[in-house]
Amino acid sequence: MQNKLMSIQEAVTTYTWDGMTYCNGAALPVGSCSIAFGKEMVKQGRKDLNVICHCGSQQINLLAAVGAVKRIEVGFSGLEVYGFAAGLNRAVVSGKTLIEDYSNGAMALRFFGGAMNWPFVPATVCIHNDQQWCSADHPDEYPCTRKIPEVTDPFTGKKYGAFRTIRPDVAAIHVTMADIYGNAIMLGTEWNRFEMSRASDKVVLVADQIVHTDCMRQYPNLVRIISEVVDAVVYWPYAAWPQSSPGLYDSDEDHMFYMNKMMKTEADTKEFCDQWVNSWNSHEEYMALIGKEKIEKISQTGTAFLMDPYRKWLRTDANIRELQDRKKG
Amino acid sequence: MEYTKQEFMAVTTGREIKDSELIIFGVGLPMLAGYFAKLNHAPNLRAFTEGGIYGSTPVGGLPWGIECNRISTNATSFTNAIDALGFLVLSGRADNAVIGAAQVDKYGNVNTTGIWDEPPWKAGKYLAPRVRLNGSGGASDISVGCKHYLIMASHEKRRFMEKVDYISSAGYLDGGDRRERCGFVGGGPSAIISTLGILRPDPQTKEFYLDAYFPFTTIDKVKENTGWNLKVSQDVKIVPEPTAEELKNLRTVDTTGFLRKNG
Repeated sequence: MQNKLMSIQEAVTTYTWDGMTYCNGAALPVGSCSIAFGKEMVKQGRKDLNVICHCGSQQINLLAAVGAVKRIEVGFSGLEVYGFAAGLNRAVVSGKTLIEDYSNGAMALRFFGGAMNWPFVPATVCIHNDQQWCSADHPDEYPCTRKIPEVTDPFTGKKYGAFRTIRPDVAAIHVTMADIYGNAIMLGTEWNRFEMSRASDKVVLVADQIVHTDCMRQYPNLVRIISEVVDAVVYWPYAAWPQSSPGLYDSDEDHMFYMNKMMKTEADTKEFCDQWVNSWNSHEEYMALIGKEKIEKISQTGTAFLMDPYRKWLRTDANIRELQDRKKG
Repeated sequence: MEYTKQEFMAVTTGREIKDSELIIFGVGLPMLAGYFAKLNHAPNLRAFTEGGIYGSTPVGGLPWGIECNRISTNATSFTNAIDALGFLVLSGRADNAVIGAAQVDKYGNVNTTGIWDEPPWKAGKYLAPRVRLNGSGGASDISVGCKHYLIMASHEKRRFMEKVDYISSAGYLDGGDRRERCGFVGGGPSAIISTLGILRPDPQTKEFYLDAYFPFTTIDKVKENTGWNLKVSQDVKIVPEPTAEELKNLRTVDTTGFLRKNG
């Protein structure tokens, strides 16, 4: 097996490009999401992205706020109890970002179909409503018949909606822990990460922790993302901040509200990026920016016990650095 | 007894939930109403979230989201969306659900997607909205899959409309047997619980009528705050006020006072 550890800068340089179809796994508005990876994409100036996710998150909020998202297919674009996603909504209302709405269930099925390499999946959701009739790709057609065309069940004659399946170029998937080869365990709901990891052409894991492969051998049933489909592993503790990572940290309530408020205008977004996105390179600088006090606070999570079985397999920072350096040669 | 309209709405919604139901809650208020029911009178409720969190109850207050750590501290299973929204909801297995609405119309169609100056159905084209909301999330799946479901909405004229700007989650569409003809596995919305009362669908026309109202309002006030000519049940009732026990249980779930802050 190949050591796939890679710096966040190198992973973004290697696996993202302008105009690509990008999945921000897990894309949970409050929980797991590869947010640090998205910030690095902003730093490297990625643009014209075609984003696909069941839910938006602060990552998509930010990418849209800086004008990097040309088009998005989504089931839910908000930040749940933290409010509407101000940056994404500004981009949608101004016409800068085209938004194609589906249901969360339909997005899950579309990833599943992509993983199966099927051309389409049939379903009874998102039909006979505006998710079928409204298409941002065909705005002049209402009701639109091309987004979710009708298909007939050859056995019963019943009508269903045909959903285009999803084969993204790259998915940057946040996981609780991975080994250096790309086997990963996710604590908390996995949403679409299992299907997404099989549907995407390239997969980058953004892991809060790196564990020894013996951990995977102890709990093979829990290893839902496998090294066989993973291209790179980025070690980045608190990668989902200000969102949460079950077992490791809670969402940062103050920063969730603050960040979203700053996404409301272009000027505030720029100020936010200067302070919180463009101001770090190393992980030490990233942690210093969040601050020791905040790190301590969000780490006092009621879910911490979920990590107990895995603690003995955790690799140390020094050990991970050594493995990363050794790989570089 | 001191309580807010939101608390009354949550308790009233909770009373519609029966013990042992397999049930899914949307984020925010629906979750509080649902877990209130579990604590208050439905201990065997089989509740889950659309990301596939099973067997849990909120700890530390209203979860910030359906995958929040506050709903992940005492789960018996974490699965995924294919399982929760597919195997349990779209399949037709789930009994009940609670969803929210920014706009709802007289046939129980829900809009959570956007507000337009000229909505797509009127303009004949789909342009960017004046206000973008959230999209349907899992509510659209719930609307077609669950055996029935409850809608919670703030009762204001601009929200209770003759026709919503955009149907994110289908209710009874144009009414009558229109929904049945679509072949959805689920039965449709069984009630709209608002900040003023309870609306239920007419069995034939599927138009929602006023079945009961809260004691602090009047039938006329409810009608004034409804954007269609609201019919009133011949035996319209007054919803019983929350009991001390119900409020205690609701506030145990709503530790952080979300329903008290928002009036």
